[in-house]
Amino acid sequence: MAEPVIIRIEDLSKFYKGSDEPAIDNISLDICRNEIFGLLGPNGAGKTTIISILCGLFSPGNGKVTIEGMDSQSDRNKIKHIIGIVPQDIALYPTLTGLENLQFFGNMYGLRGKLLKERIDEYLVRFGLDRFAKKRVTKYSGGMKRRVNLIAGLLHKPKILFLDEPTVGIDVQSRNVILDFLHELKATGTTIIYTSHYMEEAERLCDRVAIIDSGKILAVGNPRKLVEENPEYKNLENLFLELTGKDLRD
Amino acid sequence: MFKFFAAFRKEWLILERDIAGMMLLFTMPILMVVILTLVQEFGWNTMANEPQMPVLFVNNDSDTVGNMMEIGLEKAKIFSLVKEINSVPVTREMAEMLIQQGDYQIGVIIPENTTNTIRSKIQLMVAKTMSSLMRNDPDLLEGVPNTDSIEIVVLFDPTVKKTFQNAFLSATREFNSKIEARMVFRIFQEEIQKIFPQFKIPISDYQETVFFTATYPSGEEEAIYPSSTQHNVPSWAIFAMFFIVIPLSSSIIKERDEGSLIRIMTQPVSYMTIFMAKVAVYLIVCFIQFILMVLAGIYLLPLFNMPALELGHQYFAIAIMAIVSSLAALGYGIMVGTISKTHQQAAAFGSVSIVILAALGGLWVPIYLMGYSMRNLAALSPLNWAHEGFISLFLRGSSLAGVFPEIAKLLIFFAVTISVAAIYRTLKPPIST
Repeated sequence: MAEPVIIRIEDLSKFYKGSDEPAIDNISLDICRNEIFGLLGPNGAGKTTIISILCGLFSPGNGKVTIEGMDSQSDRNKIKHIIGIVPQDIALYPTLTGLENLQFFGNMYGLRGKLLKERIDEYLVRFGLDRFAKKRVTKYSGGMKRRVNLIAGLLHKPKILFLDEPTVGIDVQSRNVILDFLHELKATGTTIIYTSHYMEEAERLCDRVAIIDSGKILAVGNPRKLVEENPEYKNLENLFLELTGKDLRD
Repeated sequence: MFKFFAAFRKEWLILERDIAGMMLLFTMPILMVVILTLVQEFGWNTMANEPQMPVLFVNNDSDTVGNMMEIGLEKAKIFSLVKEINSVPVTREMAEMLIQQGDYQIGVIIPENTTNTIRSKIQLMVAKTMSSLMRNDPDLLEGVPNTDSIEIVVLFDPTVKKTFQNAFLSATREFNSKIEARMVFRIFQEEIQKIFPQFKIPISDYQETVFFTATYPSGEEEAIYPSSTQHNVPSWAIFAMFFIVIPLSSSIIKERDEGSLIRIMTQPVSYMTIFMAKVAVYLIVCFIQFILMVLAGIYLLPLFNMPALELGHQYFAIAIMAIVSSLAALGYGIMVGTISKTHQQAAAFGSVSIVILAALGGLWVPIYLMGYSMRNLAALSPLNWAHEGFISLFLRGSSLAGVFPEIAKLLIFFAVTISVAAIYRTLKPPIST
């Protein structure tokens, strides 16, 4: 790892109230600056819990999480300035236009005036939405909503971007635009933490992945190297199924 | 501060684009105030020429008592006496049947010879008194009949409230007492004339010496006369304003369900800023609602022969009271919306709890008519504080200083509810895992 560590997770465990099973079971992980890191796992594996803790939404039960050397809990407000989140659900106001949504979320990051306008214009053009900026989100297609959802997390140019299933349920063109953009974003020095069920997409995009299940990390590494180290599996998906099992998940 | 204004703008845009919702927010409270004030008018009876409560009146006496009772009940203006139905005089049997069927609620049966019986009874009493004064002169008791008591029957439909029954019985007893007092006075005069025929005693009628005047002590130089409008408009305005809990909690749940709240929670902005922006937008809605309801009281209710709402001179105090009442409602709405898991939970809990708090707060039944335990509970209802404040301003002519305790309680309630919501949201992020 050439780049310095930007996120350090040490002995992290998390139990939810009323549950005997840990949602996160004593995991430790370092994520480096400028890395695209994939969190892969079946439903209920603990991906959203890890991202929620990293974003400061949940407190870590046990263990410690530091982001750029800051404690995830005590420095939560400082951390909020350097992270961006793209939730799996379309986290937009449907009765507002795309532009109004972006203005609002930009304002919440402290952006305003000319700077905000320039950022919004830049991203709207980049994602082919400039013509639809003044249309209400409710009139957008699924792909357009996903793109606006992504822009809303990028406006303040975060150092760390959390993407929770950013390409779920969209057309190939929109997916392609998003994945290409994420590569460009990495080139600008942004660290990207990414969850997905699409193994092919993770192989294409991620520098490293962690396969997790039942709150435990089962494997960590470069996706290609992981497959090379396990030659009996011809791709990441086969390895994933071997590690997490073929049983259906809720 | 600019984040607050950005959140305010967002909230306002969302609200103004729901045109149907906006229409309902402003028209339903007006409808509620007008209809409930009209419905409750009977209890106040301030409307002229309006239908009064029909009372079946069977006057088998056709003498002084029956006639005076008839005049007295008609003068009360609350009742219209029904003596005939389809040109057929009402009988006791008819009255019993009609009340049993629920067609009428009250019937008065005055038996035959009521006046004569009362007169005889009084004559006997007077004769006995005069006889003992005149050293038991037996001549004075000669020819005076000894009669039994007479019973005036009042029939009630079981649906008539006990308080109303008591009020009606008191009124009829009062008429009867007046008639008896007059008869006693007249018969005494006649008996004295018999004993002292040499003196010409001028016949005079019984005069009442005690009169009751209803006045309303008020801080204002010109007292505002209580009326159903004056009483009901502020009451139902508070009730309507508290119903802002439903759209406000719905807006919070929607924001959470749509996922925007998760994004906001990862942004460098406090929940309090987001909550306060919501409060500011809905406060404007509540204040407009209040103004519309007041205008309905001033201009719309007189169209239905109701007295117009009088604001007195405490405009500023009324505005402050409207604002703090709205804040209490909004704090409660934010809390309900934050804690509720679904729209259904928020709507059911929000609406039922407001109805309960309104009932407890004396909006429907005055607190002084409640039992002691309920009175203690009433003091805990924010609707009661708002109600007390408005009633003091609208009816008692209080000033802003006079309603300070209510204002303070409502502001504390707002601070507590919004803090509970903020703490709850911090401890329980809206994430399903």
